[in-house]
Amino acid sequence: MSLKEKLPEGHLEENLITFTNLLREKGLSISTPETIDALQALQKIDLLSRDAFKSALQATLVKSRRDQEFFDRLFDYYFAPPEVQRRGAEKAASHKKQFESKMEQACSEMKFKGEALKLNDEELAQYSSMSQEEQKRLQDFMHKTETGVNVKPRFRPVLESVVKSHLRYCRSKSMYEKQNNTNRKDDQTASGPSAGNGAGSGSADAALGEMDIQAIRTTDLPEAEQLLQRLSRKLAIQILRRQRRGPRSGPLDLRRSLRDNMRYGGNIFSLKHKPKRRSRQQILLLCDVSASMKQYSTFVIHFLHGLREAVRDFSCFSFSDNLENMTPDLKSRAGLQHLLDRVIRRSETWGGGTNLGLSLHELMQKHPDLLNGKTSIIVVSDTKTISIDYAVNELNKLKDRVRRIIWLNPLPKEQWPDYRSVGSVAGLVEMWPCNTIVQLEEVLTGRL
Amino acid sequence: MITLPELKNDFNNVGYICDESTALTVFLSLELQKPLLIEGAPGVGKTEMGKVLADILDTELIRLQCYEGLDETKALYEWNYQRQLLRIQMNRNLEEEQVKEDDLFSGQYLMERPLLKAIQTEERPVLLIDEVDKCDPEFEAFLFEVLSDFQVSIPELGTIKASKIPVVVLTSNNERELSDGLKRRCLYLYLDFPAVENEVQIIKAKVPAAADRLAWETARVVAQLRQHSNIRKKPSIAETLDWARALVSLNRSRLDGKLVSDTLNLVLKTRADQDYFKQEIGPEEIDRILKHGGNGGGLSQCR
Repeated sequence: MSLKEKLPEGHLEENLITFTNLLREKGLSISTPETIDALQALQKIDLLSRDAFKSALQATLVKSRRDQEFFDRLFDYYFAPPEVQRRGAEKAASHKKQFESKMEQACSEMKFKGEALKLNDEELAQYSSMSQEEQKRLQDFMHKTETGVNVKPRFRPVLESVVKSHLRYCRSKSMYEKQNNTNRKDDQTASGPSAGNGAGSGSADAALGEMDIQAIRTTDLPEAEQLLQRLSRKLAIQILRRQRRGPRSGPLDLRRSLRDNMRYGGNIFSLKHKPKRRSRQQILLLCDVSASMKQYSTFVIHFLHGLREAVRDFSCFSFSDNLENMTPDLKSRAGLQHLLDRVIRRSETWGGGTNLGLSLHELMQKHPDLLNGKTSIIVVSDTKTISIDYAVNELNKLKDRVRRIIWLNPLPKEQWPDYRSVGSVAGLVEMWPCNTIVQLEEVLTGRL
Repeated sequence: MITLPELKNDFNNVGYICDESTALTVFLSLELQKPLLIEGAPGVGKTEMGKVLADILDTELIRLQCYEGLDETKALYEWNYQRQLLRIQMNRNLEEEQVKEDDLFSGQYLMERPLLKAIQTEERPVLLIDEVDKCDPEFEAFLFEVLSDFQVSIPELGTIKASKIPVVVLTSNNERELSDGLKRRCLYLYLDFPAVENEVQIIKAKVPAAADRLAWETARVVAQLRQHSNIRKKPSIAETLDWARALVSLNRSRLDGKLVSDTLNLVLKTRADQDYFKQEIGPEEIDRILKHGGNGGGLSQCR
């Protein structure tokens, strides 16, 4: 008896539909005809062979190398053998129980003068995930505040704000550490015995592309550089293709048409067109070079530098407390590490505080020739700056003088509401979250 | 219809060594009569797949090489304007023979290009649409009709439907992202560089004169070179085979660091890659890999 006969009616179809829905949630674009293809493919293979089952679904549902990663992970999870599924369910139930008990404990500990602080579930979860030492430090702080001289119950909102801010900081820190650990594990897996054959280079690229740029280590820079070059070349080809004229893109060239058709006895069979005029756009890159932004900025510079054949003018400025023109540094092609080292040495402003407003003002005063209707400005910054109101004012002026401003923000989108500066700037520019190489490519593709 | 074991066997017989998953995907493409989109680095055997399929199915291979600016007139059909004009001119002075429009737009004035030829061929052909990522997005959209319904519309003649659905293989080097519409109509296969064991089999199949040890060592060294991220142009399978043939013609039965250094031009084809090899890898490293088997192992099997 085949597996299909053993299964209850519709069981396979239901499972497949749930599986495709989960893939869609992961961002894979799977249409109904593809799901039907998958079902038809399953009818052509031996369902008892797990490898054949996986290959059939893969051939019909996966349409890119990147999707492959998600597919593999989800397949192993969703179509896990029953004993693995049972163990997973038991583990999940136990985790849930532990989590609930931790949340209750967090609620009972986060109190001010006997009254619970108004913290949301996310903040309570962050507190409960902290080490005992960190929790104790926070409790000590709350206790000292609570027992201070002249501390009234109305002081509670102030304490709440401080606690929330601290929890937010801890969340960012733990997210960063978690990402780093994942990358390290991936590295270990990649350098294991399975990496010995010719395959696998694509999955290493995919992992690097998805990694937070800040977390990419020095040893991975050559691979990152190659990936950036490939993606940048791909985008340059797209831009150049768009710029080139199509076969009939310009206006009719009557003189050439008549001359060319003389051989047909004056009958017009083939029309000749004038070349279509297209002007290449200018790109001006503005990079925040404060300590936390260094690596992001270097990667974006490297990526955009690869587009120089496709754009008429490429200018690059770094900013922190003032503006520095880095364009001359980029004239010669240098490696990513070399670029990072050289620019760090060269830039006097590197690692200083950030004054976006002053830098924008300087740009408009000293380089007005670079700002016109063909200029696209790309800003790499987390928007953290002193005197945000002044910066917003200057940004408003700059916006009117250029074609568009694309803002690449390395802060994860879910953290944007936490920062007033992000809200102020996002209303004026096209702001995109961008902290991985893949995001960088996705944001810039089709926008330049 | 061909069965999966037969297909695997045929792949082996024609010397196309591939894994189970690849064979199954090709089998499904034949069974479901869906186009097969193959992506992968240059030189992994994408185009070869089309040729091999034509060989296995014992049918005609019709190849459409894509490039920027390719349009319907070069891919589908074109009217032979010169011949039509000649016919009009010839009949101008003959009053008894009036040229009708239908006469001019008939099959004898139609120049069929690869797509139309694939649709009109009586025997099920293999249509290889090579490097589809190089064509313009407009042409890609035009391919939709051909790939989903296997029919083309010629305004003067009407719709021509395929008598036998061709086996369609599309290849892409992923120079640009293909549209979702095109991908949706195809089964997808990503070909990576082969594992050392598979490459040894490929060498043995294509260069039978190569000694077992030489085949292993060649595959081992090539795999090692491909792992260096600083080598920009990774050696393709064809280059591995050329290298193996060259070594055989030099009467060599095994590799060493010096020989690799001397014949480097056959595997590394850019100055930058060769410089990188000399500065960062060198013959000593190759000797070490060959001696210890590197991290891929396998040399012991042929000792």
